Amino acid sequence: MEDEKKQALRLGTNIILFLLALTVVEFFIGAYLKIWWAGIILLIVSTTKSVFVVRDYMHVRRLFVGEEERH
Amino acid sequence: MSTENLADMEIRPTIGKGSLTDYRYREGNNRLGLWLFIISDSFVFAGLLISRYYLLGFNYHPDVNQILGIAVTVMLVISSYFMFRAETLMKFGDIRGFTRNALVTMILGALFLIGVVGVEWQIAPAGPNDGAVWSLFYTMTGFHAFHVFTGLILLFVVWRKARMGKYNADRHWGVEAAAVYWHFVDVVWFFFYPALYLIGRPII
Repeated sequence: MEDEKKQALRLGTNIILFLLALTVVEFFIGAYLKIWWAGIILLIVSTTKSVFVVRDYMHVRRLFVGEEERH
Repeated sequence: MSTENLADMEIRPTIGKGSLTDYRYREGNNRLGLWLFIISDSFVFAGLLISRYYLLGFNYHPDVNQILGIAVTVMLVISSYFMFRAETLMKFGDIRGFTRNALVTMILGALFLIGVVGVEWQIAPAGPNDGAVWSLFYTMTGFHAFHVFTGLILLFVVWRKARMGKYNADRHWGVEAAAVYWHFVDVVWFFFYPALYLIGRPII
């Protein structure tokens, strides 16, 4: 139980570090890369960040898991 | 009674009002309802984003404060992390851990609100009546800020109920709902932040 809890919290920490790193990358792309397709890169970065949050923080999979699998 | 019937009785859960099975059933329905709401709400945000790209394309963005932009973004992203921690700790029955982390989430959310509405709106070079671009900027940030505000109210209610001992490891749907809603608000900002602050050059 304690291990499971630590593992879950560790996953959250890894994801937040990844999200913060991508946010910094995003900032520098926006500030210094003044080419039209920088916008496309920024949209890809936003989508990547969203996928991680929806999958691991919002637990979208819970929607598709049957009760017998949860308990 | 045949052995087949006995096996059937063992795997069939007893459904009674107030039982954990009943709670899980209602939780599943609530979860579906929450996600349907989130999907429908996403269309409104998507409409605002489409309007922004229609007006400014990839060439311009409103002339806003970049340092403030990254600061409020980092605050919101970190708030999502504390919300994740709060929900996870509740799942393992750590009520005190939940209340502590939910409190940090609320503080960061409030700082985000102050940063956008209290500071950015005040220092922006134009008001909501100064053309379509600025009107859209205030609409997008205002609509998002309203969601943050409602998220804060929801979080406060859940935080208070947790302190009153209304939740435990098995029954905490309110906590999950508040967490999912809070992360959704974060995801929306993932798209609003580059659209309003980063993509293209500043336009006055």
